[in-house]
Amino acid sequence: MSDLDRAIAQLRACRPIPENEVRELCHKARELLIEEGNVVTVNAPVTICGDIHGQFHDLMELFRVGGDVPDTNYLFMGDFVDRGFYSLESFLLLLCLKVRYPDRMTLIRGNHESRQITTVYGFYDECLRKYGSANVWRYCCDVFDYLALGAIVLGASNTLSQPSGAGMAPAGEDVEIEVCNADQQIISRFLRKGDIGGSQTGGSQSGASGSPERGGGEGGSPNGAGQQPTTNGFSEGGSGPPAPTNTGPPGSGASGASGGSVGNPAGAVLCVHGGLSPLIDNVDKIRLLDRKQEVPHEGAMCDLLWSDPDEIDGWGLSPRGAGFLFGADIVKVFNHRNDLSLIARAHQLVMEGFKEMFDASIVTVWSAPNYCYRCGNVAALLELSEDDSGLGVLARSNGDVNRSDGGMGGQGPRGVLMENDLLGYNRAGPARRYRVFQAAPQDSRGMPAKKPVADYFL
Amino acid sequence: MEPPPPPAPQSPASQSPPISQLPRLEILTPTQLSTGNCFGPLQKCINSGPDVSFFLGSKAYKDIMTWITQLNHSLVPRSSVDTARPVSFPLTPNRKDWSEPVRKLRELLQKAEGLMGDAPPEENKNRRFGNGSCRVWHRLLQERVGGWLGELGEGWGERVKEELKGYFLGSWGDKGRLDYGTGHELSFLAFLGGLWKLGYFGEREGQEGQEAEREIVLGVVEPYLEVARKLITTYTLEPAGSHGVWGLDDHSFVPYIFGSAQFTRPISSTRLEPTPVEGSCPGAPKPASVTSKQTVEDYRKTNMYFGAIGFIYDVKKGPFWEHSPMLFDISGIKDGWGKINKGMVKMYRAEVLGKFPVVQHFGFGGLWRWEQDPELAREAGGQSVHVQSQPQSSGTGQGGVTGGTKAPWAMGGVTGGMGGPSGGQVSMPRPTDGGVVAPTGFPRGSGVPVPRGGTPNTGPLEQTSFPRGGGGMHDKVGGNQFSVTKAPWAKD
Repeated sequence: MSDLDRAIAQLRACRPIPENEVRELCHKARELLIEEGNVVTVNAPVTICGDIHGQFHDLMELFRVGGDVPDTNYLFMGDFVDRGFYSLESFLLLLCLKVRYPDRMTLIRGNHESRQITTVYGFYDECLRKYGSANVWRYCCDVFDYLALGAIVLGASNTLSQPSGAGMAPAGEDVEIEVCNADQQIISRFLRKGDIGGSQTGGSQSGASGSPERGGGEGGSPNGAGQQPTTNGFSEGGSGPPAPTNTGPPGSGASGASGGSVGNPAGAVLCVHGGLSPLIDNVDKIRLLDRKQEVPHEGAMCDLLWSDPDEIDGWGLSPRGAGFLFGADIVKVFNHRNDLSLIARAHQLVMEGFKEMFDASIVTVWSAPNYCYRCGNVAALLELSEDDSGLGVLARSNGDVNRSDGGMGGQGPRGVLMENDLLGYNRAGPARRYRVFQAAPQDSRGMPAKKPVADYFL
Repeated sequence: MEPPPPPAPQSPASQSPPISQLPRLEILTPTQLSTGNCFGPLQKCINSGPDVSFFLGSKAYKDIMTWITQLNHSLVPRSSVDTARPVSFPLTPNRKDWSEPVRKLRELLQKAEGLMGDAPPEENKNRRFGNGSCRVWHRLLQERVGGWLGELGEGWGERVKEELKGYFLGSWGDKGRLDYGTGHELSFLAFLGGLWKLGYFGEREGQEGQEAEREIVLGVVEPYLEVARKLITTYTLEPAGSHGVWGLDDHSFVPYIFGSAQFTRPISSTRLEPTPVEGSCPGAPKPASVTSKQTVEDYRKTNMYFGAIGFIYDVKKGPFWEHSPMLFDISGIKDGWGKINKGMVKMYRAEVLGKFPVVQHFGFGGLWRWEQDPELAREAGGQSVHVQSQPQSSGTGQGGVTGGTKAPWAMGGVTGGMGGPSGGQVSMPRPTDGGVVAPTGFPRGSGVPVPRGGTPNTGPLEQTSFPRGGGGMHDKVGGNQFSVTKAPWAKD
């Protein structure tokens, strides 16, 4: 058993590793991360996770639900630390796994992976408390500076892989979204638009009148009413062949733009902790940033880690004091320009664990259940399955600098896309399987140890 | 449990020397009241780190601390000449014979609470977290509070009432961010202190028994906290500004001060003694018993400290030591509730009053004055802990927030040193080398591309608008753009 494997075992037991091992680990991790670009390319299949915030036992639950490393290929979208009691153990375990299985573990930076934020929100205090000095905090912060800013998932399929649970009905080619619980049971399925012909969903009908639904941000999302769920009814829903030309009413949800044909790869998925920046109009501009620094207070790098989508037009000031708010129009133009089918991001607590917005052009994934021991939310992870048609890699070039126009040239000059163009536009969304899970059971959470109180009480 | 670290040397505590007089908040003279101009809508004066330093030497700060220590002292049990048992001052939920001023304030709180019935939480599956109906409640409160405050007292000028209204409305969290924290709690204390200064509670200058102060805490502050807790749970205010397990409490601070005073060592009922700094009242539960849910149940109706911890048990799941390690550590203190009380007051000064993100929203006027206090200025030679901990250029914030963390530097380019938590957080030594990289950015606004779609609309000016860049707060995003995204106890 190598030292690394031993460290992994110890951290899995929620026991911190000695300071010198942390130093060594961080050194190795940095050597690895320094080679990564600002935007890491990840091939599907991949399981995408949101904020962890030091909820170690829930992270273990996440691995139980999503599969262990290296069997499952993971992408964590940052905010490993702060607020929770076990930020140290959580982050070091993820880092160990990164070093041990570099190709099966992708870590990108969240706004909490910063010196300044961790001195405010707990990680610094935690390191002091657990090691008696700030050294470990310092080693970790040095690693933070090297974490990638985003990732592009290539080769995601627009059909779901077969469910892993025994005896489960296979997902038809027309299933766009499947929601499962922690026990591998399907909670609900959502078909692609084209398959719901004649559905009475209010959302679809109003969308047909020509006005985009912006208000709810729920189009095509299981969080909202935009699409007809086929809860426990996939046998009926999955029966009909997809209607090939039906792309759904404008703006009404994920469309069947793919035509439902087997093996038609979905567009790429951009993963970033917070969201978009007014300074970044294409993915290549992220690649040009100098990321190896503390998160700045403003600018593109800051925005990527801090921004939030919101029901507004264009850009708005963020009440967080960093980053921006951005509306559906921004996301749609960005996705179109970059040949993306989806943006996956974290950064905001969501009761249901995940929330798709803006006609499923962006999704928030949140992976800290019962946040702060009290929010009562469930957590989620997002699985994208692999497209095995072999078409995927050729169809996309957005992983590289100087890529082509993404094949969307027919819709007008880049950058001056009219809103009308967007109404009917929907890059084939990848099929998405969300697994939602609850907080880990209360047992086996270790023993309390009183520590010296703060100076105020001496 | 391990013993706490060796106690610092202290004065012989069992027999504190008498003191000549208790510091009390002065009641304003008619002359002071009639010098009209200084009253009016509350002024935001704290826009940057250095402003906090000024605040810590201001009359307002001195008065706030006087007010808190005055209230705190009133709750200390008194030894009795008649009986062997000391007289302590528990909460009395069923008491009816409150003094007239206190009774009226209790009615005011009931009316505020009653508005929740008119603003039931919305069933909106689409909301992300916080419940938008909280904004309806805020609107109703704003509409009616003027009339309600008018019923409290007569003869106050409009401008004075304007100030009281500002503090009262500031006591219930932020309706944009849907959050609540110690800054709002402070606003309510300022409201009560303002009433005191106006003589609302009577001209009590000569009274030594401190019955008035006791009634204010037990009869008004505690019910206020209960309404605030109900707001938090009814509208699922989000914990985004919280420091999680690394803060004292997600929302509250003063119940830990006043509750520990209720259990501290008794002082003489006949001569003035300072607030004890160690020891406990005979019969008080041990500090360690906060980890016993049953003991907390037993005491939460009579003691404010246990009341606050009871609320934590209500809303949090998991082992106490894990979700509230700071309170857990404090429960190991061996020198009694007096020690805890002293620590809480100290911590309040540093972690609430000394923290930019918390006090930046505090408004000033004629009741709480933004003026240098000569006495504090003289003492300022030896810098107090909180001045030292003041960020000079990068805020450490605890901020309020939307759905998440607030950028520490979000306010006026303060940069930061210590972490100031929302709920109060322990300061630790900050790293000295390799530490925080000083931000080089300018306040936002300059050099940032103009957001597409033009400038965001500016909403109505609000006391609680969030800061961004330079001093000119109030650039609150229009409409309800924050909507559900802001976290609750972000202390602001």
